[in-house]
Amino acid sequence: MAFIKKTATPIHCTEHDERHTERDFADLVAELGAENETARRWAVRDLTPLPDASQPLVARLAYEESASVRAAILNALAQIGDHAAIAGLIHCLRSEDAGLRNEAIEVLKAIPQHVEPVIHTLLNDSDSDVRIFAVNILESLRHKDVEKWLIEVIEKDPHINVCATAVDLLSEVGTERALPALKQLKIRFEDDPYICFTTDLALKRIEDGSQ
Amino acid sequence: MTAITISNEDFLKFKEFFYRKTGILFDDSKRYFVDKRLIERIQATDSENFRSYFTMVRFEASGNEFQNLVNTMTVNETYFFREEYQFKCLVESLMDEIVSHKKDKSPIRIWSVPSSSGEEPYSIAIYLLEYWSGINDWDVEIMSSDIDTQIIEQAKRGHYSARSVQHLPKPFLAKYFRHENDGYQICDDLRSAVEFSRVNIMETSEVRAYRNMDIIFCRNLLIYFDDASRRQVAEIFYDAMKVGGFVCLGHSESMSRISSLFRVRKFPEAIVYQKPLEHL
Amino acid sequence: MKHILVIDDAATVRLYHRGILENAGYSVDEAINGIEALEKALVKPYDLFIVDVNMPKLDGYGFLKEFRRQDDALQSPAIMVTTEASGSDKQLGYMSGANLYITKPIKPNELVNYARLLLGETL
Repeated sequence: MAFIKKTATPIHCTEHDERHTERDFADLVAELGAENETARRWAVRDLTPLPDASQPLVARLAYEESASVRAAILNALAQIGDHAAIAGLIHCLRSEDAGLRNEAIEVLKAIPQHVEPVIHTLLNDSDSDVRIFAVNILESLRHKDVEKWLIEVIEKDPHINVCATAVDLLSEVGTERALPALKQLKIRFEDDPYICFTTDLALKRIEDGSQ
Repeated sequence: MTAITISNEDFLKFKEFFYRKTGILFDDSKRYFVDKRLIERIQATDSENFRSYFTMVRFEASGNEFQNLVNTMTVNETYFFREEYQFKCLVESLMDEIVSHKKDKSPIRIWSVPSSSGEEPYSIAIYLLEYWSGINDWDVEIMSSDIDTQIIEQAKRGHYSARSVQHLPKPFLAKYFRHENDGYQICDDLRSAVEFSRVNIMETSEVRAYRNMDIIFCRNLLIYFDDASRRQVAEIFYDAMKVGGFVCLGHSESMSRISSLFRVRKFPEAIVYQKPLEHL
Repeated sequence: MKHILVIDDAATVRLYHRGILENAGYSVDEAINGIEALEKALVKPYDLFIVDVNMPKLDGYGFLKEFRRQDDALQSPAIMVTTEASGSDKQLGYMSGANLYITKPIKPNELVNYARLLLGETL
């Protein structure tokens, strides 16, 4: 049989290990620009626990082209969760790069405690797409005011797509409290078939759901 | 106490949520099945009704109830040759592609997590011996890990019930097992073909020693995890794999709910996920 | 019957598109993001894709680029649907292999007419 078994576990692999131990902050920052993708990933990993890691990581994100290194940076920023990290993640929402925008939304969704203080600002951003992303983030936010914020969105937001995104979420998390605002929204956009469809759906889900 | 019911709108809401989280889509023919199990969970958690239960599952930080829910909605049973199409894919497609990229004669590494009681890694070994001719030219290392030391001991012992081996072709059963009073004992050759170890795949420090994997089987595990843990495991697998290596998930699991690090590859037998050969 | 894959992370949008397209006589499948769309489209042939831009895991551009790369035989047309209408985004859409680019919200007859157009059907 050609099955072989290493006698010792775990398998210690020293070959091709791009991770160098005992590196200081400055070395690691330099390593973020290394040519080898694996080396950059390890630099991100090893920087993460160090103080002030967010700024170099955010700076690298702007140039990083490898999807796997980008994912590592975004996860690192979520893990650090300090002011600079959150600002860096939020900045990604304005990126021209759809992949980066959407990855940032996913990462922000996973850290509701850090997003909560800024969600109100995001929901009032001048860019309607950023407001849509903010509503997307609300999807997983564990906060007692989520429904209240969604109601505010459909009452006040002038942009039809921002409202539509909020209604989509209300059809899952909405309660009787959302009914008046939903009915109002349907009147506000009575000419739009999609808003009529989606508000009808949300109204039905809320009214016919178990009491 | 009034009887708990699931309204049509509740069902639709739940169906969409469960699909978003797992990729499993219940059609209307499953309505009775889903309702029955939902009511079981509502009662087991002392929830007042569907709405309070649903809110709890959606927002529970620990994800414990989500795991219970997945458990009741899916069949989680391990036996030899379970989801056999994937082993077919291994021997008909994956192994040959791995070999074609190899630059040296180093062993091909396969990692099966979680090992559970060993049916999966042993099935891989049997499949390779029986159906992959390359086994005469290449060395293969099969590693298998689990978080539970007790189940690992059971896997190493290799003693199985009749039920566990019922899908094995009779000739294989005769060739690789010995019938013992209350079940089937796997032969020593196969026992020595798999290296079992205890690992928590969520712990980067524990997984760091697992490197240069060509193929990872991780079936019916990540479906129980929350989004952040799934992403974390995907990162860990990515680092543990060789470029061009493959990840095989369970048949009701989809990488679309886990990570974007891997490429979707279609083979005649199955959809498999690949660590990209070049930067995308 | 022609098969259409609707790719959007919002459940209500998928339902809306499904209703309109089924009414017009098409068979419709859904995918929640670009990866699930690849998992489906690489296995079953579709005549048309309706693709949202912003989606988790793999966005609409990423889906089209990867699908066009892997499947040379089946170059079915794709309509990109988005909330954005900026010039650069549109260009990206065409570069990734979109045939049409339309902005939400979509009217039912608009969706059906574009689908018919790309499927080469007469009104």
